[in-house]
Amino acid sequence: MGAFGSYVQNIKDAVATIFDGMAVTASHFVRKPYTVQYPDRMPVRVQDTLPFRYRGILEVDLEICTGCLACERACPIDCIVISCEKDPKTRSMVISQFDIDIAKCMFCGLCSEPCPTGSIHHTSEFEGADYSLESLIRRFVKEPVQAYKPKKGPETDPRIAPILSRGMRYINEFAQPGGEKPEDEAEG
Amino acid sequence: MSTLRTEEMTLNMGPQHPSTHGVLRFVIRADGEVMREAVPDVGYLHRSIEKIAEKVGYHGFMPYTDRVDYVCAMFTNQGWAMASERLAGIEVPRRGEYCRVIAAELNRIASHLISVGTMGMDIGAMTPFTHALREREMINDLIEELCGARLTFNYMRIGGVAWDLPPGWREKALAYLDHFDPILDEYNSLISYNKIYVERLANVGVITPEEAISYNLVGPNLRACGIKWDLRKDIPYSVYPDFEFDVPVGEGRWGTLGDSMDRYMVRIMEMKESSRILRQALQNLPSGPVLAKVPRNFKPPKGECQVRIESARGDMGWYVVSDGTGYPWRVHVRTGSFAAMGIVQKLSRGLMIADLVTLIASLDVIAPEIDR
Amino acid sequence: METLINNLIASGLFGAKPSFDVVAAIVEFVAGAVVFLVVAMPFAGVVTWLERRVWARIQSRVGPNRVGPQGFLQWLADGLKNICKEDLIPAEADAPLFKLAPYLVMLAFILPWSVMPFSSSLILADLNVGVLFFTSVTALTVVGVLMAGWASNDKWSLIGGIRSAAQIVSYEIPAGLSIFPVVLMTGTLSMQGIIQAQGWAPQHWFVFANPFTFIAANVLFVSALAEGNRTPFDLPEAESELVAGFATEYSGMRYTFFFMAEWGNLFLIGALMTTLFLGGWRFPHVSDNVVVMNILELITFNVKVLAVVFVSMWIRGTLPRVRIDQLMTLCWKYLVPISFADMIGTAVWVAIWPDGNAFMGYLMFAGGLAVLAVFVRRVVYYVRRSRMELYFRPGI
Repeated sequence: MGAFGSYVQNIKDAVATIFDGMAVTASHFVRKPYTVQYPDRMPVRVQDTLPFRYRGILEVDLEICTGCLACERACPIDCIVISCEKDPKTRSMVISQFDIDIAKCMFCGLCSEPCPTGSIHHTSEFEGADYSLESLIRRFVKEPVQAYKPKKGPETDPRIAPILSRGMRYINEFAQPGGEKPEDEAEG
Repeated sequence: MSTLRTEEMTLNMGPQHPSTHGVLRFVIRADGEVMREAVPDVGYLHRSIEKIAEKVGYHGFMPYTDRVDYVCAMFTNQGWAMASERLAGIEVPRRGEYCRVIAAELNRIASHLISVGTMGMDIGAMTPFTHALREREMINDLIEELCGARLTFNYMRIGGVAWDLPPGWREKALAYLDHFDPILDEYNSLISYNKIYVERLANVGVITPEEAISYNLVGPNLRACGIKWDLRKDIPYSVYPDFEFDVPVGEGRWGTLGDSMDRYMVRIMEMKESSRILRQALQNLPSGPVLAKVPRNFKPPKGECQVRIESARGDMGWYVVSDGTGYPWRVHVRTGSFAAMGIVQKLSRGLMIADLVTLIASLDVIAPEIDR
Repeated sequence: METLINNLIASGLFGAKPSFDVVAAIVEFVAGAVVFLVVAMPFAGVVTWLERRVWARIQSRVGPNRVGPQGFLQWLADGLKNICKEDLIPAEADAPLFKLAPYLVMLAFILPWSVMPFSSSLILADLNVGVLFFTSVTALTVVGVLMAGWASNDKWSLIGGIRSAAQIVSYEIPAGLSIFPVVLMTGTLSMQGIIQAQGWAPQHWFVFANPFTFIAANVLFVSALAEGNRTPFDLPEAESELVAGFATEYSGMRYTFFFMAEWGNLFLIGALMTTLFLGGWRFPHVSDNVVVMNILELITFNVKVLAVVFVSMWIRGTLPRVRIDQLMTLCWKYLVPISFADMIGTAVWVAIWPDGNAFMGYLMFAGGLAVLAVFVRRVVYYVRRSRMELYFRPGI
């Protein structure tokens, strides 16, 4: 009988698939939950577990900024404002304003790519919420500073060398066009 | 005996609703539970992304393409990059293409996981949603190591990709695939073959092959009607000819050909195929550069070009007109969700209100892709 | 109950010569209030915590674990928050009906507690028709839900209310019919009578007595889930379609009343299943002390009820929702004929073996253990196949 046969088959299907489904669910009772209990029940701060390439809130190391304005040109949303003039006395560039509006920033990473020294880079900070919109405009220049002039050989100033090496490490993560890698990597 | 006088109800399934996939609005004319018609009302997420391209230039538009469809952002990145490269005649190095395929297929798995998870949630089972999203979290962790972001990746550049694979990433990705394949089978046991789920999805929203073609459906929606059309095989681009994979097609095994169950199962099977492609790509990765030399002031010659890629939602078309300057004259994106919204009104006649939710979920409609 | 009242009168608490009926009324009201306020309401609150924890582990996440030890006071926090909310009544809504609806649903939840057999002497009212009273009074929810759906003046609430009314009324029938096999076997409708007809050992429970009662137990469980608006039958409050169904326009404490009634209903489902099929409070006679026996029986009853509650939470985490026409098909085309067949089968069985068949009890129990073994094997298969980390402790 077709109708009765399909009736019984429906009941058998229902029981079998529900049994299987409940077995899967029961197996989850003994598995570890995947939840990360941020922010208090964590052994390490979340910011320290993020990978090096993580695109968090932007930061500028003014000691190694060359004042080339490449980041300002690259930003698609115009959130970087830099004022840079040539000082007639010392014949070098002086940076008098470096503002990043992180309320506008979309964390795309296009500004840190063309930077020659890696002074503008993403940190692993992501907790930027605040009560006032004004505090979201990060002004990195307290008083006008002289722009950095990259040296031909390795940097010798002990204050700047670690910052520069970190910056160079950051921008060497980016792929070099045409494949010129600074150090030889066997496999990627 | 005269018949009972009944009235039609006009309901508003408004822009804020727990189960429309994004900000969509439906005006439903219903006779009790059975709908006469459900008219979609789109446009709540229009952000003029295509117009913004004319202001920010070719390199600067890349992060905006992420926002066109944030669930599968790698594909939109790839579409824009390919359109610009074709305009300027730039060739992407082989390793760059492989990185693109790896990122894109990972993203396809992630996008399909969201689709099947939210489908389960709309039907009422909350558990498959969290399981699918847990798997997606693992993919997000992988991509975070690769490019630094979890949703709007901005990974690809004109001429290749921005970052090469970090050391140790390949092993992590292969370990993830080893973990993912049994989980997919377990997911199927939990929900896909469940009798209640099959009853909810079978024979709902049947689309015939002729209707599918005349309404411009693409992607899994089209393949579920039995039409074997996948751009990766039929109009190959990038390095897809190097890989061996099948194109899953709906068979109507659970109900009628082209119903919601077919669309759902096509997505599940596509995840398996993506896993196959990923394994082949990760094992046969060539060495070399990943980015071609592209000038900072990118000025492609005057002309226009159209690029079609197979994104998670189907055939995504990118049409760019260049006038020789550094800013495009016109950009247009043709997305699969926009076409899928067109068929909802026709299919909704005679469905129940609960089925409308199933239908939208099975068409895998993502609201930002409709309105851009 | 009567002995208690006689003791109280004899102790002189109520004066010299009080009327028996007045004292009985006072004592029973106080006892009812105690049962309700001390047992039923906190249970409705605590079961939300338990459900959220169980549900979360199924979904690979942690439930509430911050408020109090392991999140145990979460329900108090939620209740307090709901009390502090604005009491919102839509302008065009029918205010008297709108306000009355949650109380009717609560009434349907409160009344069955008067026939709940906690142990051999702890029962508020051992009615002759206890089981019938139980099932008929839980049907009062229909009135409350329909009232809520109509009075909200909202089309989505109306759809939810009508769906719920159709669902509860339809599933009354298989629920009532599945009680018949048990009644045929014991000849009484009283709760204590049915429990006393079962033994303490599993093979003497009615669920294993014969294959017809086994099927009747399953049918009763499914129908009780449907009456309680639990997944897979939670259409009236289908979150993904109707926001909150008939309770969309409710906020604050009124909303809480609806859902406390639903969660408290879990206990009632468990109690019905336990009494009729799982042997109730029966415990082997280990001591002659009445108090000790009562305590052991109380614990047994609660453990069994909580096991059924746990299974219903587990089902909620696993199954999707059925559609309204599939719900009706399931009820009228599957459950009703099956329960009729059960009834006839049990009648034939009782005619052949009036005193029950012990061998069948052992056989069915062995069959149940075999099914459990297959289940555990399947669970172990899934656990071994996935490469996820295992974690056996219930608390995080």
